[in-house]
Amino acid sequence: MGKSVRDLVKYLDLRPGWRAFIDPFILKLWNNPERVAFHMHRITGVITAFFIFIHIITTNVPARAGWEAYLEEVRNLEAITPTSVLFYLAMGAVLFHGINGVRLILVEALAWGIGRPEKPKPPYIAPSLRGRQRALIHVTFALWIILWLALGYVMFLT
Amino acid sequence: MAVFDPKVATRPPPRKVKVVIRKYNPETGKAWWQEHEIETYRGMTVLDALLKIKEEQDHTLTLRYSCRMAVCGSCGMTINGTPRLACQTQLAQVASNHNPVVRVEPMYNFKVVKDLLTDFTEFFEKHRKVKPYLIREDIEEQENPKLEYRLTPEEYEEFYQYSLCIACGLCVSACPIFASDTRFLGPQALAQAYRFVIDPRDEGYKVRLELVDSLDGVFGCHFAASCSAVCPKEVDPAAAIQRLRSLLLKYRLKLFRKKINGPVEPLREVKEKVPLPGDAQTLDGVDLEALENQPVVIPVEILSK
Ligand code: SF4
Ligand code: FES
Repeated sequence: MGKSVRDLVKYLDLRPGWRAFIDPFILKLWNNPERVAFHMHRITGVITAFFIFIHIITTNVPARAGWEAYLEEVRNLEAITPTSVLFYLAMGAVLFHGINGVRLILVEALAWGIGRPEKPKPPYIAPSLRGRQRALIHVTFALWIILWLALGYVMFLT
Repeated sequence: MAVFDPKVATRPPPRKVKVVIRKYNPETGKAWWQEHEIETYRGMTVLDALLKIKEEQDHTLTLRYSCRMAVCGSCGMTINGTPRLACQTQLAQVASNHNPVVRVEPMYNFKVVKDLLTDFTEFFEKHRKVKPYLIREDIEEQENPKLEYRLTPEEYEEFYQYSLCIACGLCVSACPIFASDTRFLGPQALAQAYRFVIDPRDEGYKVRLELVDSLDGVFGCHFAASCSAVCPKEVDPAAAIQRLRSLLLKYRLKLFRKKINGPVEPLREVKEKVPLPGDAQTLDGVDLEALENQPVVIPVEILSK
């Protein structure tokens, strides 16, 4: 046992890539918001999976205690409680995952907005980093923040 | 490429730079950080600095390099957290007067052999796996060609960029997918697969498309585009993989028909004649008319002796 753990540590030390996997910010790259979106997509994906799991459990309240209890629970989300804040955070993750997912379908399946192959010339910035998909990333982030704030307004302030 | 600003690169570096190197001794299995301070000069690259340290301070420092001009792709390292070619990176780009420290580590996602030297066996195995060469059905014709394959400048431009790859491995070391799944083919191999799939002279595209059609192939990529951000040759592997994937989807939907160019006669265009200036005179005894009609003969036998 002790030996295998040591072997694992040695293996990981010989492959420093695992650190880049655990710590997304170990690599310092400029001009690469795609990577930020990539890591956020992963993190929000995990949160979304958890959320769906809990969501299924909580939405069977009507089966357990009747519709009245369920409506009561939904109404409780309007006040600022730990549950409603967690719900709001989870909704942020779901929103980002969804909007970014649409962007990824456009870019990954249809190869949209990644420019044309070209003869490299200074300042040597790859066409895919200059293409229209870059604007789409900015749109994704802007839309996400606007929708999330709007959701907060609707949930807590009206 | 990782932000190249000529104004910064041509500045003189700080007079003294502290180089912090990640050392690894395979015999004892120990890894540690080692500090060196060196005097710099204008135009000093990180590779120069490392070689100076190897000459003057620590002879055991192990690294790989060859051309010193970003052509061979041997000297990839993680410099201040960014995968870069050591010979292409000016000290002035990574060290500044208020922070004259350069951290040099081996490339991520590769096995470390010793110090900064990484093992490229897997990398080249993957490169070989995608069959990075022209495949023709008529092998006899390919081996003993009588004619040449047609390739128009437009077709050439489609894959020229991807053919610039120097196999330095920086893209692989920046790839967040590769960090978690070492069976992933990696940006370099996939970009090369795409380069040959769209080459109109190649007929092996079906084999390659089958090969990359898996989670370890194109479907492993999620467009973090870090490969394109670090590539020193502006190969743009990220775009190549997205194109390869959409092409694969088209192929599966039977919408993809590849244009294949066969052998053709070489172009024999009659060149336009440039008229001599009016006052030009030939040397005595030279007959221009006769020279023009005479075919050019290169005496190969004499040259090869
Ligand atoms: S694609 Fe670019 S970064 Fe990757 S191996 Fe080739 S030259 Fe290096
Ligand atoms: S030494 Fe050849 S690429 Fe750096």
